[in-house]
Amino acid sequence: MEELLRSLALFKPETALVAGLLLVVIADSIGAAWRNAAMRLLTLASLAVALGLAFNLQASGAKASIFSGMLVVDPLGAAFKVILVAAGLLTVLVFTFRNSRELHGLGQGELMALVLALVLSCLLLAASSDLVILYLALEMVSITSYVMVAYLKGDRMSNEASLKYVLFGAASTGSMLYGLSFLYGMTGTTSLPAIQAFLAGGVPEANRFGIYAITLLVLAGFGFKIAAVPFHFWCPDVYQGAATPVTALLSVLPKAAGLAIALRFFYGTFSAPGMSPWDLEGSINWTALLMVISVLTMTLGNVAALTQTNMKRLLAYSSIAHAGYLLMGVVALSENGARGLLVYLAAYLFMNLGAFLVVTLVHLHDGSFDLRDYAGLHRRAPLLTVAMAFFLLSLVGIPPFVGFLGKLYVFAAVIEKGMGVYATIAAVNAAIAAYYYFRVLKVMTIDSGNEDKPVLRLAAADRAWLVAFALANLLPIFFWGQVEAWARGALVLYAGR
Amino acid sequence: MNGEAVVFWVFSIVTVASAAVVVLSRTLIYSAFALLFTFFGVAGLYVLLGADFLAATQLLVYVGGILVLLLFGVMLTHKIYDLDLRTETAQFAPGLIVAVGLFVILSATAVRTRWMDLPRPPAPTTREIGRLFLGQYLLPFEAASVLLLVALMGAAMIVRRRRDA
Amino acid sequence: MISLQHYLVVSAALFSLGILGLLTRRNAVHVLMSIELILNAANVNLVAFSRFSAGNLGGQVFAVFVIVVAASEVAVALAIVLTLYRLRRTPNLDEADILKG
Repeated sequence: MEELLRSLALFKPETALVAGLLLVVIADSIGAAWRNAAMRLLTLASLAVALGLAFNLQASGAKASIFSGMLVVDPLGAAFKVILVAAGLLTVLVFTFRNSRELHGLGQGELMALVLALVLSCLLLAASSDLVILYLALEMVSITSYVMVAYLKGDRMSNEASLKYVLFGAASTGSMLYGLSFLYGMTGTTSLPAIQAFLAGGVPEANRFGIYAITLLVLAGFGFKIAAVPFHFWCPDVYQGAATPVTALLSVLPKAAGLAIALRFFYGTFSAPGMSPWDLEGSINWTALLMVISVLTMTLGNVAALTQTNMKRLLAYSSIAHAGYLLMGVVALSENGARGLLVYLAAYLFMNLGAFLVVTLVHLHDGSFDLRDYAGLHRRAPLLTVAMAFFLLSLVGIPPFVGFLGKLYVFAAVIEKGMGVYATIAAVNAAIAAYYYFRVLKVMTIDSGNEDKPVLRLAAADRAWLVAFALANLLPIFFWGQVEAWARGALVLYAGR
Repeated sequence: MNGEAVVFWVFSIVTVASAAVVVLSRTLIYSAFALLFTFFGVAGLYVLLGADFLAATQLLVYVGGILVLLLFGVMLTHKIYDLDLRTETAQFAPGLIVAVGLFVILSATAVRTRWMDLPRPPAPTTREIGRLFLGQYLLPFEAASVLLLVALMGAAMIVRRRRDA
Repeated sequence: MISLQHYLVVSAALFSLGILGLLTRRNAVHVLMSIELILNAANVNLVAFSRFSAGNLGGQVFAVFVIVVAASEVAVALAIVLTLYRLRRTPNLDEADILKG
């Protein structure tokens, strides 16, 4: 009982979300006219409270293993929680059922409940310390995502996308499960710290192949969540088929949670004892393996994006490429790498949400996701164009935007580890990426066309959000000190029982 | 060959053979019924391994729930009078090579690896599993209920005819 | 004497057959059945390890959760198949081709 109370004390953000989820489900069953507004308010309140509690958790620097070793609480995990909850909160705030044409006429209650469930599952995943909760949380994230993508059930493309998503996802996580079962058999326990202790004692030669098999199978599951090559095939179709607010959410949340657990799993479990978690067991060349995946991912993402004309698909490939850059933080295998990952994720959150907001607003007014219909937008919606310019430049990684800050951190971490070639490849990739980001900007500002279309009248709330996100992309570099302090405070990875 | 070995081989062959039918059969209904035998075979293996609670759960949930759901899915997505529920196969040879390769690799791994060696003599498991659910594995137990809520809501929402928000 | 390895080879066979079905089947329900084979293979592993290697019931508890997850996945997947069928009249994956690339 004391264990339970102690655990709950460190479980507050998740508790807030569970309470919100239950209240939203109850509210949805009431037939009153005000129920949509009430549910939205409940969701926002729950997310805001959870965000505050997550900040508290990070500030408190708590390090503990809770719920009988199922979850682990540490500053690094708390930092991820802050990012995850912030992503959920911002998405619900910014994308309403009014400014997204795709969501018109659909039930709101379920979507609000699903968002809360998704954020909750991501929090559980990012803190997992046991194989059972790891698998369960991963599947919770997945299944919630499947349902959210299938939300536009009247739309055939959306249904096809969600079907592909389900089948691909179930296969990937099923394969991962097979790998996890081997890990259980090799060590006799489902607890990650115990597995780490066991493996650190030395892996007999006969088991080396088994470890390789486990790694590859587990990477199937993680790779699927992060949309890394070769498990990215579902990504463009799903991003295109889902409602844009859902896409915005899925572009950040599962990716961040997947990266958090990949970091924790590989470094927490396969690290040597007595040393910092960043020193890995020498049996596998993790660095090389992850580096290959990272390079393939960013290259494929960037190259495929070059020819896209559908904005949602373009952003899908763009986000695959960014997963490649994010993996640099994981490959760098150090405190700086983890810090780079955090900063990049925070930057990515603002860049991506901003870009998706623009896409949603254009769709709301023009009904199109096609890039060619973006021509001449600088005349019709100057504020929108300027904001989009900020987001695009940030995505390229140009100073002084926050995207540059993120890239700076991961590049620095990688170079510090002596991986010059890797950094060069990544830099070349960023240059290639610049082409398609600038192309969008060019179409919006320089291309002529659509002269007959009316001026876009944006709602005040939408304008405010565009300005807010644009500033969020521009200002952090002037507060470098604060960003640094926040990331530095998060660098404790607790791998104990 | 003692009794245990006979039972093992019977259940194993039933399981693997029916799994092969699931994968290779051209007719969806045959696959569905073969899957039934696969699930039964696996339940039999669980009993052999001393997992009594799990065997019962397998039968109740997999056969009684999931398989029935799959059969509904098969039935509702074809016209009733269309008995020839044939499905075509995509490129078979590359898939077969991959599958055989996987089998060889995984079996080799299984045989070569030195697994942990702490046998647990078969004993009734229900009470112990119950204790674990409410003890060590309490969090996954509760999280699973959230998962089921989401899946329930989600599936119902996806399937119901569109109503006004 | 039936040892651990016997069970592991059986599960390897199930897993490989599941992958075969995944790679070669067009119909979504067929693919779903193949995925169930994969999950059952992993479960057999878990229970076998629980009996021979771990000395604890963690594997069996894990297997129960896998069954829960499998049920949820099948429910959601079939809901989507049904909806797609209503809109499109075919659950074949190859004919789900609006999304290219």
